[in-house]
Amino acid sequence: MVTGIAGMGFAAVTTLAEASGPDIPSIDDFLPEPALFAGTPFAINRIILVRIIATVLLIAILGVSAHRAKLIPSRWQGAVEWLIEFVQNSIVYEVMGELRGKRYVPMITTIFLSILVFNLCGIIPGFNIAATATITMPLAFALWCFVQYWIAGIREKGLGRFLKDELFPKGIPWPIYILLSPIQLIELLLIRPFSLTIRLFANMISGHLLVALCFAATQWFFIETTTKAQFPLGILTFAGGAFMTVFEMAVAGLQAFIFAILTTAYINMSLPETE
Amino acid sequence: METLAASGTDLFLPKSYDIVWSLVILVILALFFYKYFLPKFQHIFDERAEKIQGGIDKADQAQKEALEAKKKYEDKLGNARVEASKIRDDARAEASHIVADARSKAETEAAQVTANAQKSIESQQQQALVSLKGEVGVLATALAGKILGSKLDDGAVQSDMIDSMISDIDSDTSAK
Amino acid sequence: MDIITLAEVAGNLSTIGYGLAAIGPGLGIGYLVGKAIEGTARQPEVGGRLQVLMFLGLAFVEVLALLGFVLAFIK
Repeated sequence: MVTGIAGMGFAAVTTLAEASGPDIPSIDDFLPEPALFAGTPFAINRIILVRIIATVLLIAILGVSAHRAKLIPSRWQGAVEWLIEFVQNSIVYEVMGELRGKRYVPMITTIFLSILVFNLCGIIPGFNIAATATITMPLAFALWCFVQYWIAGIREKGLGRFLKDELFPKGIPWPIYILLSPIQLIELLLIRPFSLTIRLFANMISGHLLVALCFAATQWFFIETTTKAQFPLGILTFAGGAFMTVFEMAVAGLQAFIFAILTTAYINMSLPETE
Repeated sequence: METLAASGTDLFLPKSYDIVWSLVILVILALFFYKYFLPKFQHIFDERAEKIQGGIDKADQAQKEALEAKKKYEDKLGNARVEASKIRDDARAEASHIVADARSKAETEAAQVTANAQKSIESQQQQALVSLKGEVGVLATALAGKILGSKLDDGAVQSDMIDSMISDIDSDTSAK
Repeated sequence: MDIITLAEVAGNLSTIGYGLAAIGPGLGIGYLVGKAIEGTARQPEVGGRLQVLMFLGLAFVEVLALLGFVLAFIK
């Protein structure tokens, strides 16, 4: 996923950066200057504004649907219920089973729906940047997951047994532990939360770069350049941009799904084996 | 590319205000989902399940009641049928009884009539016999007197003759 | 444009580094997903379980590509 998109993104940025023409997107898009309350801890920049608006919209729309929810569902309510049941059955219960999964349904639903909406902001005209496109938002979700799987492990097994199970897995000859245990520890402490974070973040960055690049080039070829010979190239980049937009939509859903299912799986790995 | 590379590291360093807003939004979203959204829908799911269960129960109940009613009607119908046949049997029995009664009554009556007739015939016969006996005696005496005349002046002979004649007549009658 | 600028390699080496870093995980993910599909095709009833395991493995493999991605930006 990341592999493909980012690779294409880099190649495109590198080649076109030399041309003086189009307004090439750069990573400055992800480091906007604060627009409001600059200098205070409550400074708001473009991405944070997008995030706040997305949150308000999400809560408003889902709140109204929940408020109007009836016993006999309307079409919209059916769709919302389908989403809830998808998270519940296809993610949580599929991984954990119903008994232990019940406690985590609200958490996974929050994570899945929030990330989905935040990701989709990247292709909604007017927002044009994913609300998850700073490192902090994915990191916040990942740290939540981190805290939850430590709590789950400590509560169900106790700290000692949890660490023993994780660092010294059964059925492995002891010399391997010298190699394995440090890796397991790093995995437990760093790799899990940071891979969750970076995976989501990198997908949003590369996706935005690609879409923005395609449309910037399209504008350059159609409007700003004077040579009509480059017009067909504009059509090509426009088609590419349209394709990347649809692709981003799929990536938004997929990344939300992966984030949710990995969070569930990590929590489940902290719980004692029952099968 | 130079500016890109220069600020590249910044991408991975969270800014303080970004942390604040991420956490605020995360907490708001979590509260929303935990406290309002999911309980509301869970409530609706439960209610719906309950209602469906209730509907099924109600349907079961209705079916049971219908079956009961049907059974009751069938029982009633069966009873009515049995009763009707019983009544018919009774009527038939009574009819035959009546016929038998009538027959026996007619028979006794007939027998009585016959017996009466026999009796009156017998008594008439007796009467006829008695009167005939007297008349025949007188007639015979007169006839014999006339025939014998003088021969029978003697009283002993006369009574002997009468007795023998009567015994003859008696034996005649009893022989008959 | 003199002879020296002509010979200059324009761009960023980290891009190439990322490209190299993506080869391994690319192969790994391909193999992983292919095997998961194969397993699901053989035994569709454990498809859900396989999918979870696939995503767990994917998380491991993709870490390498993600490291490459991060290092490409950090100088």
